[in-house]
Amino acid sequence: MNISNQKVDIMPEETLPKLLKRNYEKYGDNQVAMREKDYGIWQPFTWKDSYEKIRVFSLGLMALGFKRGDKLCILGDTKPEWVWAELAAQAAGGTPIGVFTDCRPEEVKFYLENSDSVILIAGDQEQVDKGLRIKDELPLLKKIIYWEMKGMWNYSDPILASFEEILDLGKKFEETHKDFFEKSIEKGKADDIAIFSYTSGTTGNPKGVMLSHRQLISGIRRIRETEQFSDKDNYVCFLSPAWVTDQGLSITNSMLTGMTLNFPESPETVREDIREIGPSFLFFAPSLWENLMSMVQAKIPDSIFLDRFLFRVFSAVAYRAADSDIGRQKNRWLWKTLQFIGHFLMYRDLLDKLGLSKIKACYTGGAALSPDLLKFFMGIGVNLKQMYGSSECPIIAMHRGGDCYPETSGAVVKGMEVRLSKKGEILIRGGNLFSGYYKMESKAIVDEQGWFHTGDFGTIRDDGHIIVMDRMEDVRQTAGGHSFSPQYLEIRLRFSPYIRNALVMGEEDQTDIISVINVDFENVGRWAETHRIPYTTMSDLSQKPEVIELTRGEIQKVNMLLDEWNKIRKFVNLHKDFDPDEAELTRSRKLRRKFVETGYNELRKAMFENREAFTTESEILYQDGRQGKITTDIKINAVE
Amino acid sequence: MAKSLKIRKVAEDVSLELNDLWLKFANITALSGVSLEINKPEIIAIIGPNGAGKTSIFNCINGFYRPIRGSVHFNGRDITRWPAHKIGALGISRTFQNIQLYTGLNTLDNLMAARHCHLKPSVLWGALYFGPERRKEIEHRGFVEGIIDLLELESVRKKVVGTLSYGWRKRVDLGRALAVEPKILLLDEPMAGMSANEKEDMARFIIDVYELWKIPIILVEHDMEVVMDIAERICVLDFGFKLAEGLPDEIKGDQKVIKAYLGEEQ
Repeated sequence: MNISNQKVDIMPEETLPKLLKRNYEKYGDNQVAMREKDYGIWQPFTWKDSYEKIRVFSLGLMALGFKRGDKLCILGDTKPEWVWAELAAQAAGGTPIGVFTDCRPEEVKFYLENSDSVILIAGDQEQVDKGLRIKDELPLLKKIIYWEMKGMWNYSDPILASFEEILDLGKKFEETHKDFFEKSIEKGKADDIAIFSYTSGTTGNPKGVMLSHRQLISGIRRIRETEQFSDKDNYVCFLSPAWVTDQGLSITNSMLTGMTLNFPESPETVREDIREIGPSFLFFAPSLWENLMSMVQAKIPDSIFLDRFLFRVFSAVAYRAADSDIGRQKNRWLWKTLQFIGHFLMYRDLLDKLGLSKIKACYTGGAALSPDLLKFFMGIGVNLKQMYGSSECPIIAMHRGGDCYPETSGAVVKGMEVRLSKKGEILIRGGNLFSGYYKMESKAIVDEQGWFHTGDFGTIRDDGHIIVMDRMEDVRQTAGGHSFSPQYLEIRLRFSPYIRNALVMGEEDQTDIISVINVDFENVGRWAETHRIPYTTMSDLSQKPEVIELTRGEIQKVNMLLDEWNKIRKFVNLHKDFDPDEAELTRSRKLRRKFVETGYNELRKAMFENREAFTTESEILYQDGRQGKITTDIKINAVE
Repeated sequence: MAKSLKIRKVAEDVSLELNDLWLKFANITALSGVSLEINKPEIIAIIGPNGAGKTSIFNCINGFYRPIRGSVHFNGRDITRWPAHKIGALGISRTFQNIQLYTGLNTLDNLMAARHCHLKPSVLWGALYFGPERRKEIEHRGFVEGIIDLLELESVRKKVVGTLSYGWRKRVDLGRALAVEPKILLLDEPMAGMSANEKEDMARFIIDVYELWKIPIILVEHDMEVVMDIAERICVLDFGFKLAEGLPDEIKGDQKVIKAYLGEEQ
């Protein structure tokens, strides 16, 4: 079922494999398509190398019986093989589905089962083990293919095959099936389903969103109207392409523009690898920007006096300069001059340390980012832009040109219509809206006029900029009759280097707004060390009176900017972090509010009842599936 | 692709025999006639209470201590009186309970330094970094990178070892032992003082090394859970005597072992 009633103006039958073939013919061996850091060296793959891998792997898949319309799941770290597998599947006329690597076996099973996948491409031993554990419950699953040899030496299950083995199979298959691959690419249509992108499941089981080549490509075309991506640009792939926004900005973008994709050595080396590449474009989730900021704020106190002084002065300048850019600060020329001086005294070095010195534009999306954080990065010279999208429509709105207002998500992209429902829900129509959910009716969220209900609560300004406040179901009321958005408060709390995550709650029969805080173990730990406070674990550190005092101060800072009724009155430092393994966060690290609120129901009651402390006995689930129990006393604290 | 195959090597026949080893320090007898024979690739654990003589065995094998009686044979050769560096060059590599690394060098340099026994440098070419020396250096770096990949040391490759946490240093220490391309590997408490996660990682690395190289690995370890999980054969020492030797299941049920560990009911 196709529910997008407005076709977008792209070349009639463009598909990702066709673009790949075009790039191969255009660049051949003369240009690098991707680089992977391996053995400490950036190993290049030219377009020809890349194309050959995809061609032979695709033939290998066909030899296994993978046919048009079949699906396969890719479960592995972001490596060139990920991209090759995706394009090989698409070239064979099938649909790849990206799965996040930290999913538990049951979750992987859900994706494989729900999408009717016949092949699982698992990166390494860890992922293969997940596949082997669930293979007997999946009658459709024919093969598990892995690309990382480490630890796989003694596996003999016949369902397993290495990437190399499939390449050999492909080569043999080619002898009897000449030009099969090229013909298969030719058969592709722009409206074929390119990928399934599963919704993050903040509200229940994930749904398989079907996106066609046309939708993916037109989405990136919209971005290209304002950004000058070219084949000279570098992009660092370290988020998972299982996330549709990254999928678009990396794979689709590279096929469309010929830019080079760079794959870091390991998740732990991303920061250094980014610095080595000096990418021109980056996409960070808000949590990564927050981490970056926390890191800067935590390291500054360790530096010499002069650095600390310059940082204090010129971060203040950065905020003012960013404000003056959008006309909220007088004396624009003064701040711009100071910003210019700051560039040489501080920003330049800071950007270099962060690996952002060659950045043309950075993006953030997926969740709201604190306006202060956005202003800071804009002020030091990072062209940081917000994007607003969802799995169903990867790009709805974004900042363009100099039109960057920190609190908005930018204006709606061309070809899309947007309006608000009576309740304040954002509705969208047209453009690159998805082709429907796999095996599911989409009527519930797309009404008769074709409006898609995003489930986001927000407003649209007169200049067309969208402000996304929160999820519809998350907007809360207090006894005073005020509606407030917990997320609005949470992102402001998270701006503190000492607060990693926060859950803000309110009740219709309670006047107070309360908050459950996850302190940032690393930064607070460092703070404790400099203040000579001994601690052992997270649960110990979080309950230290000094740390509680520290958190209280951070909350007071946020409270100062809020109306009296909107202030946070009570808080606890939770003894642990919210954890995706316990389903408290989604795999893209968004809070699963309903689940967490119910999970901490007792704690919430205790907080509203004005008790002083709360004893919790929580079951914890380790990543390897073991269970344990922890008893902790959590102090309940008030804020002025 | 097909990573870490770079450091794959052909399995060789290796045998190590300890015959009736006696070791004394003044009036204390550290080892009283301990014998042990290894002639196929396997993971062997040596366990025992504190002061049982576990580390003394390692020190006798690699020439730090001289036993007063008995002999150590490696591939048929008597190496009992050999100096430590010659024993190392034979391919007997070990890690230490209290990590022995160059704390002022980074991980990469520590591993490269460990490969010195495979380098036969010429001063002139080496100084010029030219010709065969350059080729050799690149080759050895390739091997070391293979180990970095195997032990997932990428994020600390360029970090000075002295600044690393204990768990990381243990890992680098294992890497140093592997860089020698050992024919037999002795690990002295590789998991002491580690967190549960780090222990799990370490156990996985030991198994990876074993599966990849098929070399005998002798392990001194206190953590029973780990020992029972990964060892194929266990040798139990108590006050310098060999108490028992056998499969993990046999050792678990052995009355003498239980007595040595848990004491006797009065």
